Amino acid sequence: MTDQELRDDVRNWLAANWNPGVDRAQWAHTVVEAGWAVPSWEPECYGRGLSDAQSRLVAAEFAAVGAPGCGHDRANLFACTLHDVGTDEQKRRLIPPSIRGESKWCLLYSEPGAGSDLAGLRTRAERDGDEWVINGQKVWTSFAKTADYGMLVARTDWDVPKHQGISFFMLPMRQPGVEIRPIHQITGESEFNEVFIEDARVPAENLVGELNAGWSVLQTALGYERRFMGDLARTAKDNKRPQAEKANLLVELAREAGRLDDPYIRQQIARVDALATVNRWNTQRSKAAAERGEAATLMALGKIAMSRILHETARVETEIVGAEAMLAGPDNPTGDAVTFRTMNAYFTSIGGGTDQIQRNIIGERVLGLPKEPEPYRNTPFRELPH
Amino acid sequence: MPTGATFSVSEEQRALRSAVADLMARHSSEAQVRTLIATDTGLDPKVWHELAVMGLTGLLISEEHGGAGAGPVEMGIAMEEMGRALLVSPFLSTAVLVPSLLAETGDAAECAAVLPQIAAGELIASVAFAEDDSARLPTTIATSAGAIGDAWHVTGYKHFVLDGQSAELFYVLAATDAGPAVFAVDAGATGLDVTPLTTVDLTRKQCRLQFVDTPARLIGRLGTGVEVFSATLDRAALALVSEQAGGARRVVDMAAEYAKTRYQFGRAIGSFQAVKHMCADMLLEAESAVSAARFVAGSFAQQAPSRLADLALAQAYCSDAFVSVTAANIQVHGGIGFTWEHPAHLYLRRARSDAQLLGSPSWHRERYLQQIGA
Repeated sequence: MTDQELRDDVRNWLAANWNPGVDRAQWAHTVVEAGWAVPSWEPECYGRGLSDAQSRLVAAEFAAVGAPGCGHDRANLFACTLHDVGTDEQKRRLIPPSIRGESKWCLLYSEPGAGSDLAGLRTRAERDGDEWVINGQKVWTSFAKTADYGMLVARTDWDVPKHQGISFFMLPMRQPGVEIRPIHQITGESEFNEVFIEDARVPAENLVGELNAGWSVLQTALGYERRFMGDLARTAKDNKRPQAEKANLLVELAREAGRLDDPYIRQQIARVDALATVNRWNTQRSKAAAERGEAATLMALGKIAMSRILHETARVETEIVGAEAMLAGPDNPTGDAVTFRTMNAYFTSIGGGTDQIQRNIIGERVLGLPKEPEPYRNTPFRELPH
Repeated sequence: MPTGATFSVSEEQRALRSAVADLMARHSSEAQVRTLIATDTGLDPKVWHELAVMGLTGLLISEEHGGAGAGPVEMGIAMEEMGRALLVSPFLSTAVLVPSLLAETGDAAECAAVLPQIAAGELIASVAFAEDDSARLPTTIATSAGAIGDAWHVTGYKHFVLDGQSAELFYVLAATDAGPAVFAVDAGATGLDVTPLTTVDLTRKQCRLQFVDTPARLIGRLGTGVEVFSATLDRAALALVSEQAGGARRVVDMAAEYAKTRYQFGRAIGSFQAVKHMCADMLLEAESAVSAARFVAGSFAQQAPSRLADLALAQAYCSDAFVSVTAANIQVHGGIGFTWEHPAHLYLRRARSDAQLLGSPSWHRERYLQQIGA
């Protein structure tokens, strides 16, 4: 089937079935039954056996008419992980409500004591009859309050090295033992939560993958997450407008502040423009790269490049805005926005893996530099210093 | 507007890169670089002949004049590989600046007389435009030319002239009563004095020229000298950024190699985060410089409307990146990086000189701002 034939198929189907007034619950069923919710999955598993690229095409057609329900084979990490690693029973029970959008999920990975060193997690799962009892604390959880399930990594064996004693569960979130508290970020916002888990229960049927093999299930889930982040980056609105048409925000900020004639400010603006511009050129080069090595290198560099851009841009904005950067609140929108961007830059340089970890990855996987010695590689988790 | 197509590489271009890299491996080893550094001319005729045979000296020269008729993308590829190898030769002057200048003058007779010789590797030539205090075009041109009948004579001086001691021919920017113009001056002309400069970049020879009623030939039209040279310097910058990017990328390899093989405290120093992270940051700068150089080559090849702004930004970035990476490379090498015998400082010298050669990074950043209307 050619891309155009596929597009026509989807458009015809949408024209025949979709209108903005349809009942959404019914619509979700319709989409799933037609295989459009997860088009790249096998027909035996709610899909249509399309390729990844074709699946993205389908999602674009749905988006073009504003119809929801597509793209679960890319954005729904819960369903994708179960698709790859779940038992038939889990797939039958958990996937359909998820890809109909009826059940929501969140991620329960990081802990206050396990960020960069996620394998050092201490949330524990102890078997009790048909259930596991969970105790611990998770942090940086988005969507915790609306989630029905948490994708949970917890420790099930304390007497083996850390990576080998972790298991992966789909934890029912709406139970007394799960308490959710918002995290107050330095930006003033509250996008993330802490999740306190005290004697919460998860049925044994919700163990995903083998007992104590949770680390590899996590790698599968993280792989889908990275792929989805890549999708978001690729389709970001900004990418679509030709660069020349976009107002140069720093130039306009300086002009309004009467600082555009200041040679120091001009140089700083041009320096920051160069960082953003070469990053765009790196991205273009990675897309055109014939060798995967070149593309992978440029993608690995992209994260630290973006951190630098965000921090440096905020720094130059601060120079331009000057004293107003001391003030906040709606009466001082310019200064307020600059402060927000300064604080929020850490979302990139720390979140999703710190820049320091990323430099380790670049040094080791791209440049082939040796890892640091790991004195605790074979130490049972129980004996690790913490 | 340049798209991903900017970065796609044809089979021919792949083959070109491979051939130049191979030539560099055979003829621009560190030993060969150091040998040429010690000469006055920085020219090995045998290597120059190889460059000509491979079609490199004539890369930008039209097929009509015996060249390859190639463009900025191909020149960028060749310059990247030459930059990696720190090639010592009059390539920038003879194969980039002069052919670009002659094309800009539109002087068909001069092109027909000179370009085939360059393509064949039989002529070394250079350009002379800068005067004291600036590597860019002078705001007021001190060197002047006057005519008696058809016979022109040039009086004045030029500074920062590349390859002055190996060049047989110079193209000089001089003021006239009818505006600035380009003049050809033979190396052996009367009243011409060529004084070598002592340069920081030992791989790039520069001279000062003094003219006293030196006979010269008018090239192109009177009054067009500044426009011709401006466009010429843009084409040279297009090549230079690729040389800088190639050199920067090579130096990252040098640092990583050292970090893997130098052992202290029982392990490779690259296993320590401080060193590892320096190398990661160097890689970001160098790969970004490569993207910038290749993008602007494509931008010019496609005549993108934004190409002058792109070039100014890329030149500033690549100059800074090449310097910072070569500087960090010395730090990664520790004590041995502080010795004359180690090649690290040779790359730093090239980087520092390249960062001034066609204007400083801050000059180019200001140019970028003006191009975008700021």
